[in-house]
Formats: sequence, structure tokens, C-alpha cells
Amino acid sequence: MAHRRLLTLFPRGKEWITLFHKPQHVINQTVHELVSPFSGKSKRTLHTGAPLMVKLLSVDELFARRSLQEHLSKIEKEYSECLKVVSGSVAEDPCSEDDMRAKRTKVSLLSPLIQSMRELDIKQKEMAETEMLLKDEDKDLRELAELEKENCLQDIQDLREKILDLLIPEEEADLSDLVLEVTAGVGGQEAMLFNAEVFDMYHGFAQHQGWSFDILEHMTSDIGGLRHASASISGPQSYKKMKFEAGVHRVQRVPKTEKQGRMHTSTMTVAVLPQPTEISFTINSKDLRIETKRASGAGGQHVNTTDSAVRIVHLPTGVVAECQQERSQLKNKEKAMKALRAKLYSMKLEEATSKRYNQRKIQIGTRGRSEKIRTYNFAQDRVTDHRIGLTVHDIKSFLLGENLLEEMNCSLQEFSNQETLMELLEESSQEG
Amino acid sequence: MWRISMSTSCRACLGFRSYGKTKGTWSFPAVRTCSVPALPALPITAAQALELWRRHFEERGVTEPEQSSQYIIAHLLGAKTIETLEQDKLREILSQEKMEQVWQLCTKRLSRMPVQYVIEEWDFRDLTLKMRPPVFIPRPETEELVELVLTDLQKKLGPDISADSQQTCLEVGCGSGAVSLSLLKTLSQLRALALDQSQDAVDLTRENAWRLGLSDRLEIYHVDVMKEPETVLSLCGSVTALISNPPYLFSEDMMSLEPEISRFEDPAALDGGADGMNVIKQILTLAPHMLSNHGRVYLEVDPRHPPLIREWAEVNVQALQFVETRHDMSGRPRFCILQKEESNEDHEVDQD
Repeated sequence: MAHRRLLTLFPRGKEWITLFHKPQHVINQTVHELVSPFSGKSKRTLHTGAPLMVKLLSVDELFARRSLQEHLSKIEKEYSECLKVVSGSVAEDPCSEDDMRAKRTKVSLLSPLIQSMRELDIKQKEMAETEMLLKDEDKDLRELAELEKENCLQDIQDLREKILDLLIPEEEADLSDLVLEVTAGVGGQEAMLFNAEVFDMYHGFAQHQGWSFDILEHMTSDIGGLRHASASISGPQSYKKMKFEAGVHRVQRVPKTEKQGRMHTSTMTVAVLPQPTEISFTINSKDLRIETKRASGAGGQHVNTTDSAVRIVHLPTGVVAECQQERSQLKNKEKAMKALRAKLYSMKLEEATSKRYNQRKIQIGTRGRSEKIRTYNFAQDRVTDHRIGLTVHDIKSFLLGENLLEEMNCSLQEFSNQETLMELLEESSQEG
Repeated sequence: MWRISMSTSCRACLGFRSYGKTKGTWSFPAVRTCSVPALPALPITAAQALELWRRHFEERGVTEPEQSSQYIIAHLLGAKTIETLEQDKLREILSQEKMEQVWQLCTKRLSRMPVQYVIEEWDFRDLTLKMRPPVFIPRPETEELVELVLTDLQKKLGPDISADSQQTCLEVGCGSGAVSLSLLKTLSQLRALALDQSQDAVDLTRENAWRLGLSDRLEIYHVDVMKEPETVLSLCGSVTALISNPPYLFSEDMMSLEPEISRFEDPAALDGGADGMNVIKQILTLAPHMLSNHGRVYLEVDPRHPPLIREWAEVNVQALQFVETRHDMSGRPRFCILQKEESNEDHEVDQD
């Protein structure tokens, strides 16, 4: 459905370049993960180069591609081989227990996809039969067949979409919650004012999506701007959606602070850090220095202080998180810890990612943060996403974080999915 | 017992507020001297009021001038901290009514009344508690004491907290009720007994328990562990945990306290005698008679205390084993854990 809906969003213009002319950003090392669609552990961001115009293919176009058909039959073959081994019908070559377990996992992972593929097969056969009936001499029968054909086409379309969705591997982090960080960039007070507006926009987005939004850090400037802030966001699909918001956002307008009516360009940066669970990522408490206003003097019953701000320094890396949102010192500590954990975890992920990508001389992992992804032009009342060349109008509504942002976000997701799929097919065909 | 030290320059009080119910009337000077800034003639914004009072507190030597001004104004504008207050609200003009409230509360702070008493509430862990003089204001370190007890009790209760593990804990010196109420809030099967020598504390704990809907699992008694140990023993059967933030200041330190503490908080909740150990020793003496076997005592103490406590308990209370000393967030030795270990002899005595 999503594939179809998106088509209506984009005009089919001459300037669209198809994805396939994109340089070969081939992810060699993760080939195996990507081929088995469900074990994808790689960190994926939307690949973007210079203003990249891409065309979104329809489901039919995708299914018409030989590479997709080949990929699907390869999966089917893999599945039936595994199934044979698991069900014990091949006795000649007893495999190790580990191997057996791996194959069993594969079978259960692939079965929803196989199921859909079989359903599609059946539907397509039905379709062929119906087409025969369309040539029948009986008029009533022909009308019936016409009706049948429509239903069939719809079912085929739905199944194809389902198959495409199932082919896209989930990222490990997609299932987690996240910490959102916003930081004012170039442009002084104006950048801080814009930063505050974007932070509010994501607050609105979270509410619109029914996610929780808990502010961890909030450092304001004198005139109501925001230097830096972070918030913990959780809810279904929160990371999966928010990851497309990471990058540099640019604003072009006449700032409130500008006396001579000149247009300024300022920026702010969004970072989206997956929030690790306690189990997946631990921090040694010995590596932390916790700073509070009670650190000097006797503490305890001797002093009654109200300043409950907490600052935590991670000594090996020098990463700092602080919180003074709460009156309870312990609460502030918990929140600062949350921000710190997310920062450290994302550093770790980035390190792992860049290591992987450096070997292939491609820098995808670092792009997320440093790249200009979107422009908010107030004079033209438009928001343009440079990754997919999509422009929407009505900035004010966009900044509410409701339907317009949602639409933009969905488009990004569609493009990302297609991009992933294309990569997958390339890998698959190269494997032979 | 409780003295209000009031400088003569503050005697020109305009209003009095009375606190307490049974021990007579505690009166606080709502100070209005020539040094209180006049209500501004022209309307001002919240941000301007914030700055005006910050400067004034600073000039008058009030501690934490910026935080004081921020907490009071944030409170009056409906937020807990200035950080969580919407930015726009700071730029709005204060109504006449709000401005008068700001002046009234900030004037109280000028008399060195603690912010927690000025706004009549404070947060402790995830609870918001009513605060009222002279009941001791819980300190951040005590949040960590609760953390310690919770971790231990949760371990003890295991993953499935079933009905058969009905546990009771005892708190000596409950003050505003912060410790007991936090434990009850987190552990839904727990019951608690809370004692205090002050009627004001007992009343405030009861009020906070009622506000938080935790009264049904909490028993509160007005009793003094120093004077009425028999009563205490008769009230408390076998409890799993005995928790206390007893008065632990050395008497000599009572002279050097800031006015926020010395003028407003109940000295009985602070002064632990010459070595700060009067109440601690009494608690340790009574503990073996109130704890179930392997039950634990959790104490918040002065950083000088842990070695003294270990030594004293070894000599004087054989049924108690010193388990460990834990540090607070700032790295000071702050918490002592002791455990009841029944020897065979004790068993025989019990059976007799």
C-alpha cells in the first residue's frame, strides 16, 4: 500500500533519475546479512549524495525486474534446502548441531515470505484462469470474470507489497527507543531560536505519533532560544521514523533579531541516538565522575541545598551529560545517565559502522550528522528535503510536527526501503 | 527545645503564620524590612522578576540566590523547575495577583526560610511531598538510602512478589514520610511502620501518605525511641528491614549550621549528641529485638561514623553483624548496613 500511496505524492518529471544510475555503493561485507533478509544488523542510513533526485518505482515495475524474480527464486531454493535438512529427509550428509540450528532459524524466519510467495503464485494462476474465462462466449460469465479479475489484481498487488516489505531487513536499532539531540549550529541567537522551534516540532511529532517525550537536557539562551537539548522518546516505530530526521537542518529567513531586514541562513543539527537497553550496553560505574552542588562541604543533614543539577562525566571518553529538569537529584541523575548512555552507545555504533565502511572507502555512517538534509525557507514558505528533492509548503503547519512532517517522513522511509531493496538485488545478482 | 533565632532587625514583622497542632504555636516572621524591594509600579515580566529577586537575594547574602528565585517563580507559574517552564511564560507580564504572590513568597525566603518551606512542597525520588516547618526536609543523600534498601528488598523478594512474602519495614524518625512512602510506592506488597518523636512529623507523614494514597499500608506512631523503648518494642514485631536517617550531627556542629537549618528545622531531627551517635546506638541496641533473622538495619550517617559504628556494634550488640559501608553520590561514606545473625544460644534462650 505504501508503495502505491507514495506514487501519488511525486510528479513524474523528466528530471528524475532512476536509482540504478547511482554509484555502486555496494555493501560487500554485509552481503550475507542482507541476502538473508532478516538478520540485517548493519546500520543503515539513507544514502545521499549531491542533491539526489530519485524515482520511486511502482510495485509492478519492481516485480517486472528480472533481478527481483531471481532473488525470490533464490530465497525459495534456500528455504526448501533448509527445510529438507531440518525435516530430516536428506540423510546422506548429517550436519553439525550448530548448522542444524541455523537452518531451523532460517526456515522459521523465511516462512512468512515463502507463504506470501506461494499465495501470490496461486493468485497468479487464478488470474490466468480468469483471463481464459474472459474470452468465453457467455456474456454473464464474462462479466463475472471481469469482477473476479479485479479482485485478483487487488490481491496480487497486496501480496506483492507484502513481499517487498518482508524483503527489507529490519535494523537492530529499529526496534529500540531513542534519544533525540538538537544543537544550534551556525547563526548565533537566530540558530538557537530555530533550534527551539525544531525541538518543539519533534515534541509535537511525538505527541502526534502517541510516543512519550521526556526532556533530559535543555539549555536555553537569553532571548528564548535553545543552545542544546535532548529528549528521550519511546513508542512504536519511534527510532525507525526518527532516524530519517538526523542531519543538519537549515533555515532561511529574516530573523526576529535582525534590524535591517536582511535574510539570514542559520543551521541546527539533529542527532537521533538509539537508546540501548540495560542488557545490550553496560557502563562501568568506575568510569564515571558524578558532579553535584553537594560535592563540596559536609553534605547530608549539615546542608540544605535546592540546586539538584547533576553532571556526569564519562572519564575514558570525556563525554558529558547533565540534567537539571527535576527537583529530585536522583531523578536528574537518572535522566543524565540516560542521555549519557545513548551518547556512548551511538559512539560505539558509529565506530563500528565507520570501521566497516572505511574498508570499502565509503562514508555513509558519518553522513547522518554532518550533512544538510533539509531547508526551511520562510520567504517561499516551503520546506525542501534535499535527499529526495521533495518540497512541501506551509512551514507553520510543518513545524507543528503533524501531518506534513509525517508525510515527509513517510516519503523518506519509502525511498530508503527501495534503496535497500535495490542494494539487496544487486548483491544477490552479483553473488550469481 | 526548638528556638527561633530572629535577628532584631527582622522584628518589624507584619504577618505571622502558625504551624503545629499540639505543641503550641510556632510563629515565623514574614519579614518586611526596609530592604524588601518595593512592588514595581509598572508591570514586569516573569523574567524581570526572576532577575530582580536573584539580585536582591544575592545582595542580602541569601544562599542559592538564583535557584531560590527560580524555584519560587517556577512554582507560582505552575512548573517544578525553571527548565521545565515554557519559555514564553517567562516573557509574559505578571498579573498583579501573581506579582503579589512572588513578593510574598520571596520575602519569606529573605528571612532565610528554606525554599521547600516557602513553596510548601518538594520532590523526593518520584514523589512530591508536602513540606512544613519544623519537620526535617529530606536531603538528596536519603534518596540514595532508599535506592539501597529497594535494591536489597527487591532481591530478597525475588522476581515473583507473591502474597506469602508479606514483608514489613520499620522507619525510625520518619519526618515528612519520604523514606517509608517511597518504599511503599515502589513495593506494592510491602507494609511499613513509621515512628517519630515529633507530633508535627507524625501529622505531616500522615498527610503525605493520605495524599499519595498509601495510608492503608502504613502505620504511624508518635513515640520517642530514646524515652520509650518498651513502647517501640511492643509496637514492632519482626520486621525485615529497619531504616533510619537518625539525627547524626555532632552537637558542636549545630552551631555552624546555615540559618535555613538552625532557624527553621527541628533540632531534634539533627542533633545526635556529642559524637552524633545517641540515636544510632539506641537503634542498634533495639534492632535485634525487632528484626526477623537476617533482617537488616540501613542507616544514613555522618562520614566519620562508619568505623565507629562497626566497632561499637561489635562490642555492644552481638546479634548484629556489620555488613558494609556504602558511599553517597559525592563519594562520602554515608550508609551503614548491619544484619541480624541469630546464634544458637539465642535460639535456646528464645525457646525458654
